[in-house]
Amino acid sequence: MPEHHIVKVEIPALSEYVAVIRLAISGVATRMHFNIEEIEDIKIAVSEACTNVVQHAYPNQTDGKINLVATLSDEKLDIAISDSGKGFDAKNPVSDKQDGSNGVNFGLGLGLTFIRSLMDSSEIISEPNKGTTIRMTKNAPEKKVEEPLTNS
Amino acid sequence: MIDFSVEIDKQGPLPIIRVKGEIDVYTCTQLNTSFQEVIQAGAKDIVLNLENIQYIDSTGLGTIAHAAREVQQSDGKILVVCPKPQVRKIFEISGLTSKNITLFDDEPRALGAKNA
Repeated sequence: MPEHHIVKVEIPALSEYVAVIRLAISGVATRMHFNIEEIEDIKIAVSEACTNVVQHAYPNQTDGKINLVATLSDEKLDIAISDSGKGFDAKNPVSDKQDGSNGVNFGLGLGLTFIRSLMDSSEIISEPNKGTTIRMTKNAPEKKVEEPLTNS
Repeated sequence: MIDFSVEIDKQGPLPIIRVKGEIDVYTCTQLNTSFQEVIQAGAKDIVLNLENIQYIDSTGLGTIAHAAREVQQSDGKILVVCPKPQVRKIFEISGLTSKNITLFDDEPRALGAKNA
């Protein structure tokens, strides 16, 4: 692989498009030879970040967007999921109850737990009224020892 | 994309909700509707069969947690059939199984737990 490749995907911030992002990032992760478990981890982490946008970023808007930028290199897969929605105070991101008491919305807290647990590193950058970016990284799988080329 | 479906089986000793496809922010409302149908019909213990799901995230777990809270009022449980390691992993990370939600490898074991 060259030094790095960049894949960009933009979807409407609507719940029915989150599966599209999962398919896209699954393809990217497969391209990097992550194993099935690692691909599932990446899919969940990316999906949680997008779900957060769908649920929280654009409360009074139907034309909001989610942007995914995946940077592939030999060492790692860097992913950034961004919106230009309402943002929040990144020092206090957990605003929803964690026990399911607020119905089907399980809140950003558990989504963040998944992202932190399933990826090698992550960070949230957010500012009220300017939007949010969640960055996450999965280290590349160890390279398999390639068969030496032989002269025939 | 993968088709999503939820089927309610009321023939046995416990109601069984069988789900196919991916449970996410889009599809979890259908699962919630099925839970509500079963709970409003008076069910306490409910079997949720996730053998044929390919994916679940925090919104799916939230739906299950919400149903578990409702049946807890009548001392009920959610008996989750969940043989896939990647799905079990999500339950384990969430810590959700420490409440009245229990995981099983197959439907007979989940149904057997009712009499345990």
